[in-house]
Order: sequence, then structure tokens, then C-alpha cells
Amino acid sequence: MTERIKSLLERTFDKEQAKFRRDVDWKPLLERFVAEGVSDMARARIGLEEMLKAETPAFMDGERLVFLRTVKQIPDLHTEEEMDARRAAGTAFGEKGVVFNMTADFGPAIRDGLETRLLEIDARLAELKSRQDGGFPAQDGSDRESRRPAGGDAEGIEFLENAMLSVKAVIDLAERYDAAGAARPSYQAVAPALRKGARNFHEALQTLRILHYAMWCEGEYHCGLGRIDQYLHPYYKADVESGRLSEDGALEELEEFFIACNRDSDLYIGIQQGDNGQSVMLGGVTRDGKPAFNDLSRLCLKACGELKLVDPKINLRVDKSTPLEIYELGTELTAKGLGFPQYANDDVVIPALQRWGYELEDARDYSVAACWEFLIPGCGMDINNIDAVSFVGALDRALRNLAQRRRDAEGGLRYEDVEKEFFAEIQRRADALVEKYAHVEILPGPFVSVISTDCIKKARDISKGAKYNNFGIHGTGIAVAVDSLASVRELVFEKKLVTLEELVKLLDTDFAGRPDVLAAAKSAPKMGNADARADDLAKWIIGFWGHAFDGKRNDRGGIFRPGTGSAMYYIWHAREVPASPDGRLKGEPLSANWAPSLDVPVKGPVSVVRSFTEPDLGLVCNGGPLTIEIHDSAFAMADGVEKVAHLVKFFIERGGHQMQINTINRETLKDAQKHPERHRHLIVRVWGWSGYFVELDKEYQDQIIKRVELKG
Amino acid sequence: MKGRIFEIREFTLHDGPGVRTTVFMKGCPLRCAWCHNPEGQSFETETMRSAAPGGSAPGADRTVGRDWTPEDLASELLKNADIMAQSGGGVTFSGGEPLAQCGFILETLPLLKAKGVDVAVETSGYVPLESYRAAIPQFDFVYQDVKLLDAAEFRRWTCGDVSVVLDNIAYLRESGVRFVFRVPLVPGVNDSPSDRAAFVEFARGCRMEFLPYNPAAGAKYPLLGRKFPLDGIPDAIR
Repeated sequence: MTERIKSLLERTFDKEQAKFRRDVDWKPLLERFVAEGVSDMARARIGLEEMLKAETPAFMDGERLVFLRTVKQIPDLHTEEEMDARRAAGTAFGEKGVVFNMTADFGPAIRDGLETRLLEIDARLAELKSRQDGGFPAQDGSDRESRRPAGGDAEGIEFLENAMLSVKAVIDLAERYDAAGAARPSYQAVAPALRKGARNFHEALQTLRILHYAMWCEGEYHCGLGRIDQYLHPYYKADVESGRLSEDGALEELEEFFIACNRDSDLYIGIQQGDNGQSVMLGGVTRDGKPAFNDLSRLCLKACGELKLVDPKINLRVDKSTPLEIYELGTELTAKGLGFPQYANDDVVIPALQRWGYELEDARDYSVAACWEFLIPGCGMDINNIDAVSFVGALDRALRNLAQRRRDAEGGLRYEDVEKEFFAEIQRRADALVEKYAHVEILPGPFVSVISTDCIKKARDISKGAKYNNFGIHGTGIAVAVDSLASVRELVFEKKLVTLEELVKLLDTDFAGRPDVLAAAKSAPKMGNADARADDLAKWIIGFWGHAFDGKRNDRGGIFRPGTGSAMYYIWHAREVPASPDGRLKGEPLSANWAPSLDVPVKGPVSVVRSFTEPDLGLVCNGGPLTIEIHDSAFAMADGVEKVAHLVKFFIERGGHQMQINTINRETLKDAQKHPERHRHLIVRVWGWSGYFVELDKEYQDQIIKRVELKG
Repeated sequence: MKGRIFEIREFTLHDGPGVRTTVFMKGCPLRCAWCHNPEGQSFETETMRSAAPGGSAPGADRTVGRDWTPEDLASELLKNADIMAQSGGGVTFSGGEPLAQCGFILETLPLLKAKGVDVAVETSGYVPLESYRAAIPQFDFVYQDVKLLDAAEFRRWTCGDVSVVLDNIAYLRESGVRFVFRVPLVPGVNDSPSDRAAFVEFARGCRMEFLPYNPAAGAKYPLLGRKFPLDGIPDAIR
């Protein structure tokens, strides 16, 4: 790391950039929108224009990649009342309702420059307007009438006009930067590349920085960066091969870009600090199926290892042919405690996406959204985290239904009845979500549409739909449900320690008066021990969950994709249930994602991997990683990296879909709760992202401390 | 013949190459004052309180020590044969003193080796020469402890007779089996510069590694209702 980068890194971590920030009260703008009845599309454009006008070019000493946020607040474009009224009228929204949790098609925008997009918009507008005027002069002078759409395409025109102004607003700020920067020593102008296309690695990174920055200013959030080692590789390669850039020079450029991803991130929207969706995907295969891991992928891993920052969050695509050396490069980051890379398995994910209707070339081009949800950059407008099913809640409800019915009608209850009712409850919940999201709208994002695939051609904002418009549904607490079911089978039906009715009552009282039942529940089979008594239940549940939405469509033409992720629902869903039959008491959290229940005895990481790769994970490729915690002593020995790399490889070869590893030490985490000032750099993997432990709310901290810590 | 085992731990990191499972055999003829696995000392099964996991409620009592047939043990260990093969790993026998249950080991090893599993042992060498000579050639690799070289000091800190160990080591050096000497450094016991120099001299021509003292070595004694022998000996725990 050069001295310049080191200095930038330290000052960025210490938030020196915050000194440039100011508050802006956007309320008058919102009031104007409401009073004048401004359309959604125009609000999006005006919001971006006003935001960028309010921004002031600002520079940190020693930086070569510019653009930083100086206005803290993004304008709100709709009042709560407006949104509530729409909801009341039957429209559902994903989270805040705007375009989010997606990745734009940065590569073509960087290559072509925004002026190319302006020309395309202009041409398309001319075409639409001439049709609206009553006739488009056909080349051969005939067939005029048939080419005129009934009533003209007012929506298309509105989109294109606003898109054009949005793009101009972004270029305008870049030009103001250049005017302000001209006096600075060795300032490199940014507007020419943004307008005309990048010519080298530095310009490509600078343009990417501006495009990504502009998305946040438009109100998009959880904006992923996608496959940077693919779309930036041509610039890197040309520069290195021509001798314009040394390997060290490229590393320095890349490190500065990665630092820039941490510059404004505390202003980004998320459930917790660090949850900002700046995902990067490395490796995998190209659109035509060739191995894609390249020198730049390697350089990205190296840069992250030197910087030790939480952003960007690295994902690494692998498959059964990936050599151990690549796993080791990834594990070097794990060893540093970064909580990434998160691994994704091409052998599982690509066929799964194809089965769900993705074209092969697109499927090969997959990246992830904010956390782990697989998506195709540029052409995926999936809302891949629209809601979640609580497996623990479903089982609780199923047991209560059975206990109730048992009172109503005498008769021998069999274990099979529990499974059947549990299934039925999962299906009811799945169906309810299909119903709940029967009509979903997304608020427009004209700028992000311009840097996505085919929006200009179709003259439609990306919020109206892209090539893929699927909804993802998380599945929370699957391991707790598996353990609970195993416990019900053993305690109620095999050992006959309690009846189902008694058990249900004990769940409401935290097993009061029956320590024997609690102890038996805790020692019933647990997922993560390569024990078929639990693992077979997981196979069966995933087999069912994977098909729970078969045949269902949303009104955007998309499907519903089930997954094994939990997002923050592992905290939320735990509050909705009392104790569970596995011996989890009321108030104790669930495990995050696809992971053993908290605090359960497991044999070790190999058995955990074995258990969690038993089910057919291709059925649940909305994503959701096996999340394991390895004690930091694992890396005390020189060959620790190699061993953990083997563990990941083993997971991939057994058909795992996705995996992330936390390197932690409970004692350190507890000390960090007591003395946060001593642990400012301590990073943990929370649910699908890495954050600074001391910046998390306590309940998220406590949940991590309770995770099964695997020691060697 | 059955063997008594107090823990089977997978993915151990300090017991040899690749992904390994370590089998901790119960019972040891030595009483090293710094022993961090006190539940491995007695040959009898014992009751031990579980450590409180993750700061939650204290765990329940559990029985330490379970008897295994060679077939059952091999079958359990071979469940991970795939990742052992993938990573060049295997099984390591530790303890307690594994060679104190030499007959059981000799019956178990062929079942593992027949499946191509690499086998290693960590031993104090404090077993009869016949046992040592019978077992050692069956292993692919040996971690041979060297705790103290002086007879009086050895007796003081381990309650054993160092000549037994030294005789076995003399055999090991000639056996042709690959091995490394492991010296657990204990502050105030065997970590002075002259101690270290003596170890280096002793190991001349052979591989040797020093193991740092585990500051949490005494953690498990209270769970067994016992007192850590080094408690209250300031020199030894500094």
C-alpha cells in the first residue's frame, strides 16, 4: 500500500469527509410536489436535479478519484400519506418503494459514455414524438397508419424526457467538479470520460464512481457494483499491456476506488450500519461459459486484504473445477476477519436460474443483490427480498392447530400428522404472500434506467419491468424448525415424554416446571451433526419449500423464488414466537440464514457442511448462505488458510449453493461490547454483509456472540 | 477390545496436515501440572459440568468418557474420509495418552489404513517399550512430546520417570517413522534460555517445535471439581 493510499484510508475511516457535509431541508420540495400534483417520473428527475444542484464539489487531500456526498439527506419524493393512500388502494411496494437492491449495467455506460445515451434518447424521442404528431415518415412512404400507436406513447415520452434531464444533471455536476478541480495540482478532469466513454483504467473507475454515486442521489439504495473484474478488465488489460500502468499502479487505483466505497456509506440507507448492499462479484464464468477469474479478480482480492474495510463486500463465484489456490486467496480475507468473500457455486446457481426461466447467457452472468440474492446485472428488476416465511412461526402454528383439533376430536395423533400440518401451514403462508404481492409498483428511477439494459429502446423506466421481474422470498429459521421437528418427534411420539397439548403449553411458559422436557429438547437431534435424524427433515423441508411457489406468477410476469436467507428477519421473526420445541427459550434469537441453531452442540465444521449440503439447494436459489463462525485461532497455524479453503471447496463439491465464514472470537466480541473504542476496526459478518461490530445494535451483537463457534 | 475416548473433535488444526479428526483417548499415566485436558487424565468415566456457552445459562452435567469398539470408531471417523482424502488429512490419536490403550489402537488402525486414511499420534512416550515398539511403526507420523529432560524436574512436574520416555525416543529415532519433537513451553517450568538450548541440543538433527503455553490451561479443572496444580505458583503461570 502506498503512503498516499494509507493516508486516504486512515482519514476516510476517521470520517474526515464528514467535514464537507451539510443538512438540507427538502420539505419545501416535497410540499411543492404534492401541491402541484407532480408525477412520479417528474419527481424522480427533479429530486435528482435538486440533489445534485445542492451538492458542492469537494476534495480530500491526496485523492485522485473524486466525488463525495456533501448533502446528508436525499429528498423524499412522496409523503407518508401519499404512500399509505396507494397501499390502501391495493398497491404493494417493496420496502421504500423505489428501485433498490439491484445492479445497473455499468460496463456499457462506462464504455460508451453518457452522451451516447443522450443521443439514443434523443433519437427515440424524435421517433415517439413524430408518431404522436400523427405520422412517422416511413422510409418507403407507405404503411404510415399501421405504425402509429393508438393515442401516442405519452408514457414513453415522459420517461425519455425525464431520463434526458437526469443524465444532464449528472454531467452538469461532473463539469462543476472539473471547474472547481482545475486549480488543484494534478487534477484529472472527470467529465470528458463520463460524457464520451472511458479510455483507461483510471477513467473507468472514476466513471463507475460517479454513476454509482448518482444512483444513491436518485434515491436508489443497496446499489450493487456487480462483476467489476469483468467489465473493468478491458481497461486494466489495455493499460497494463501497453505499459501505461504497472501492476502496483493498478492496485493503487483499485484501492482508491474501494476506499471511495466507504466514503459516503454512513449516509446510505440500511437496517443497520454496514447494511448498504455494495456487493462485488468476482470470478465465475463469462457469458459464453469460459472461466472468468482473471488478473483483476486477483488484484481485487489483494486490495481488500490490504485495506481491511467492510466495503465493497466481496463475493466469489466458484465451481467444482476451481483450483484450491483460488479458495486460498479468498480464505486469506476470511483469515483477516473481513467476513467475506461470500462464495457462490456456479454448478448449482446457473442451472437453478435456468430452471426458473433465465436464459443461459444471463444465468452465467449472475451477481448478487445487497446480500446473497442472485440477480442478473442490468436486466434484473427482481425484488428479491420482498418478504419472508418464518419456518419457526409456521411450525408453532401447526402444532397449535393440531393441539386444538386434538381437543375437538379424540383420536390417535401420529407424527406424520405433524409433518402434514406443518407443510400445509408453510403453503398457507406462501399463498398469502402471493396474494399480498398481487399488485406491486416500483417508483421510477429515470437515471438508473439509462444505465440499465434496453430501457431507452423500450422507452420505459426500469421500474416498469426489466427482462426479469421475479420476487424473492426468504425462509427464516429453517434449522430451528428442523431441530424443533426432530424434538417433537422424539419427545412426543418416540419417548412419549409429553403429549402435544402439554408441549404446546410448555412453549408458552418456557418449559416451566418441566426441566426434564427442556433437557430432552436440548439433547434431541440437531442439524449440523451429520445426523440423518435431523438432516432428513431438512431435506424434506427444502424439497417442499423449493416448490411452494410453483406455477405462481406476479403481475409483472415474474415468478416467486424461495431462498434460505433470513435477512434481518432472524431477529424479527424470533419476536413473534414463544419458546420453540428444540429448547430455544422465548426471546432468544434464531440463527441467521442457513446455519445451525444458536448455541447447539455440533461436532465441527465438517459435519455442519455435510448436514447443510444434504438438501437439494438448487431448489432454493434465491440465495441464503451457509453461515459459519470459525474461531480466530484457526488461523494461528500457517496451514490454517489451506484447511479452511479445503472446507469451502468441500462445501462446493457437495453441492452447496452459497457460503460465508465469520472469523471471530467470543472473548474479543464481549470485550468490544465493553470497550468499543478499542475495537473500532473489528469486522463481523452480520446476515449478508460485513459491518463494524461496534456500530451494530446490541441485539445484533448478542446474536453473533451466541452463534456456534467452531474451533479446531 | 474397547477403547475409552473423551472427545472426538473434527477439523483440528494443530494435529497434522490437511483436514483431520483428532481422537482424544481417556487416561494418562502422567500428571503434568500444566495439563489443559484434565478430563483426559483418569481412565475412569467422570462427570463434568459443561462450560457456559456464549454467555448463556451454565450448561448441564455430562459424562466424560465413552467406550468404543474399533469398528464403531472407525466407522465414525470414516464418515469424513472424503474431505480427508481431498485435503491430504487424516486422523490423529491424542489424549490423555493414546498409547496407554495400545491394544485398542492396534485394532483400530488397520481399519482406517485400509481406507487410505493417514494416521498420526501425539504421545508423551510414557508407555512400556513393548507398547511403543508395537504401535509406533503403524503410524504415518508421530508427534513426540519432550517435556523436561532432567529426571528430577520431570518427576517434580509430571510425576513420571523420564528414562521411560528417553528409551522410547531412542527407539523412535532409529525406527524410520517420520516424527517431530514437540516441546510445550511452560513459563517458570521449562522455558528458560538454558532449557531451550538444552531442547535444541537434544533435538539436533531432528524436527522440533515449541508449543506456546495455553493461558487458559486451567479452565477445565473447576468443571471437574478440581484445582489447577499451577494455581498459586506465580512463576509457573506468569
